[in-house]
Amino acid sequence: MQNNIPSRGLVSLIGILFLLPLQSIAQDLSAREIMEKLEDTRRATSNSALSRMQLSTCKFGVREGKITCAERPRVKSLESVGKGYGLNLKDTRSVAILLDPPAERGIGMLSFSYDEGARDNETWLYLSALGRVKRIASGSADDETEPGSLFGSEFTTEDQDTGKLDEYEINLLEETLESGREVWKIETIPNEKRARQSRYSRTVLYIDKERFVELRVEMYDQYDKEIKRMLGARVELMNGIWVARSTTIMNLVTNRLSNMAFLEMHTGIDVPDEFLTQRTLTDAAFRETELEKLRAQID
Amino acid sequence: MKKLAGLAATTLLVILNPANAQDDVLILDNDAQFDGDFIFDDDLFGGAFDEDSSANTRSWLDDFTIKISQQFSGQTNNHGIKITPGFSIPREAELETNRLGANIRYQNAFAPGWLLQASAQIRIYLNDDYQYRAEGDSVDIESRGNEFFLQRSFDQHSIKLGRQTVVWGETSGNSVLDVINTTEFRDFNIIDIEDARLNQWMLVWDYFGENSNFSSFVNLYPEFNPAAVRGSPFFFEPEFNLTDYDRDSSMLLEAGTQWRKSFEGSDISFMVAYLYENQLRYEDPAMRIGDAVAKTNDFFLLGFSANRAIGKLLLNFDLAYSHDVLADSFNFPGTASLANPINLKKDQIGSSVGFEYAISNEQTVSLGIQAQMLLDEDEGLLPGQSLINEGVFGSWLMRYSNTLMNNDLVISSTLQGDLAANSLLALLGAEYTINDNWAIGGQIINITSNDESPLLFFAEDVRLSVTLTYSF
Repeated sequence: MQNNIPSRGLVSLIGILFLLPLQSIAQDLSAREIMEKLEDTRRATSNSALSRMQLSTCKFGVREGKITCAERPRVKSLESVGKGYGLNLKDTRSVAILLDPPAERGIGMLSFSYDEGARDNETWLYLSALGRVKRIASGSADDETEPGSLFGSEFTTEDQDTGKLDEYEINLLEETLESGREVWKIETIPNEKRARQSRYSRTVLYIDKERFVELRVEMYDQYDKEIKRMLGARVELMNGIWVARSTTIMNLVTNRLSNMAFLEMHTGIDVPDEFLTQRTLTDAAFRETELEKLRAQID
Repeated sequence: MKKLAGLAATTLLVILNPANAQDDVLILDNDAQFDGDFIFDDDLFGGAFDEDSSANTRSWLDDFTIKISQQFSGQTNNHGIKITPGFSIPREAELETNRLGANIRYQNAFAPGWLLQASAQIRIYLNDDYQYRAEGDSVDIESRGNEFFLQRSFDQHSIKLGRQTVVWGETSGNSVLDVINTTEFRDFNIIDIEDARLNQWMLVWDYFGENSNFSSFVNLYPEFNPAAVRGSPFFFEPEFNLTDYDRDSSMLLEAGTQWRKSFEGSDISFMVAYLYENQLRYEDPAMRIGDAVAKTNDFFLLGFSANRAIGKLLLNFDLAYSHDVLADSFNFPGTASLANPINLKKDQIGSSVGFEYAISNEQTVSLGIQAQMLLDEDEGLLPGQSLINEGVFGSWLMRYSNTLMNNDLVISSTLQGDLAANSLLALLGAEYTINDNWAIGGQIINITSNDESPLLFFAEDVRLSVTLTYSF
């Protein structure tokens, strides 16, 4: 993979120039505004973007006082293409194709996520054994649906979700330090309707004041016991967007952790609408050709 | 049965292999308390980033996916099957399959818009496998090509030429429209139609329009469901040899097209096809000398399918209208339970309806009911004649699955029966993914049947199977 971080010096510089004024006004932001900016950063990583990720999952234990894997991690690698649609590009269409492990190679998933609560998200899955594209019953934002796991990892769709901030009470708890960085400590509490769909009764986020990236997130259950913790690391400027290239989520109940490593992330890609259709799942010749074109935009 | 125990022991060794665990790690109890901060070093996954520089270095071996498997299965319940009052057939516990297999799949997008895909399988039938016994107690090797097609995609078109499958219909497992491909249910290790489909030589043209798609196929060499393999559980000694269709007498060709459109929350399709019934019909030879005579059954199919997602519920519906089907298309000579075939062509209507419900993100349950009936079924029958399938006939299929341990363990259950409630097949399965390469699966099947169903010969069977798989 090309390392696009140093080679994108100009883009990085532009990104920093954009972010500097943000920093100067950062002190005046309300908790809600901070969350909106955090969501803008999250969305920017999937809008017109081509990403290659590695998901590693393992049972964890403690060695020399540090959390570590107690078994060889299960590793999945996948390629994902996404694009924003709708008002303010708040709807997302994305395709994810599993590259590894060999037994799951070629499994593809097409997802249409709608920002509007009343619209059901749509998902289609292609398994070569099935021989056809299959629509998946996935539940809507209105249903009392527990969030789904992302490819068998500890990440759930809820952990990746954006939008619907109106359904949360957002409080700025304090300004503090996390991993040596100045952060806002923000608490989000779902309202009654949202709480029915959430595994968390409360979430506490530590948001980097300069880069609008979560460095730590604590998720609490209904008994206010911390059940999951997410840690962001390797925060780097990728294509003008600050990204935690390595995010680890720890399930403190089952003692399993998953790490999502962004090996590549390219934004500003011209993704044709035709690519975000069911054809990409079934027509491998089309998919590979279009992916090559997308990759060529990076080069 | 000793072999099953042996395999279980081997599997435990693999699962408990120290290589899968890390030394000196304190394993925490579930629900261990994490008060305050704890130290986590992200370097644990640092290797993922080190791999960056070599990620684009592809090897030709990357185009291959290989799965090697060892399977044992058998009937475990000593019992007898009562055929008539005072007469029963003993059914003793025995090993049925002991086979080593390899499935190889190759997919290579070798140039822009071009793709070559092929897959094949090799099976080695070892001691006590039914095919080992059928070969006079000697190891037998069987190989078979599955997919083999070249694909060219350009603009809004995609053309695939070669051996492939075409799947129609929305209902999982028992759609009345899933009739393009032939199938082979060789033994009870193949229960799902997804595993039984056989590829055929076809030309498939897909047109991806702005709002809807067309998919058309021409089957250049229609094939038929293969006869049961000698020694397999479904094999019975016919009075006359069951031969393939004599192709010299006419040219066979199948063709069809499907139009598909997606709406928000729903997909619909209309289809039309000229097909041959996948099951050949066999008639007694003239003068009752020689091989059975294989007859094809061509018909026209009109179909409609739709699905509708409502939250966690997905509704499926398939409708098939078959014109000019043989009234009794299923007949094997020499089986006293079946009457002589009736050479009547009739129209048939069939429907499959079903639902899938996501109980949670880990659990799903689905039900599919397939029902068919001949229209004007009595018309043309001579006095005293009757059809094998009278009135509404069909089947139902219920599946439940539960994924546990981050998808590493999948527990599933299948219930399958006919609408007349003559038989029930109950399956309980578990698949455990040991690591990125190794997986193990087990199944228990129990069959219940009365004497109205062909499954009578397997009534009260309890079948166990274990399959160990290595993929790379």
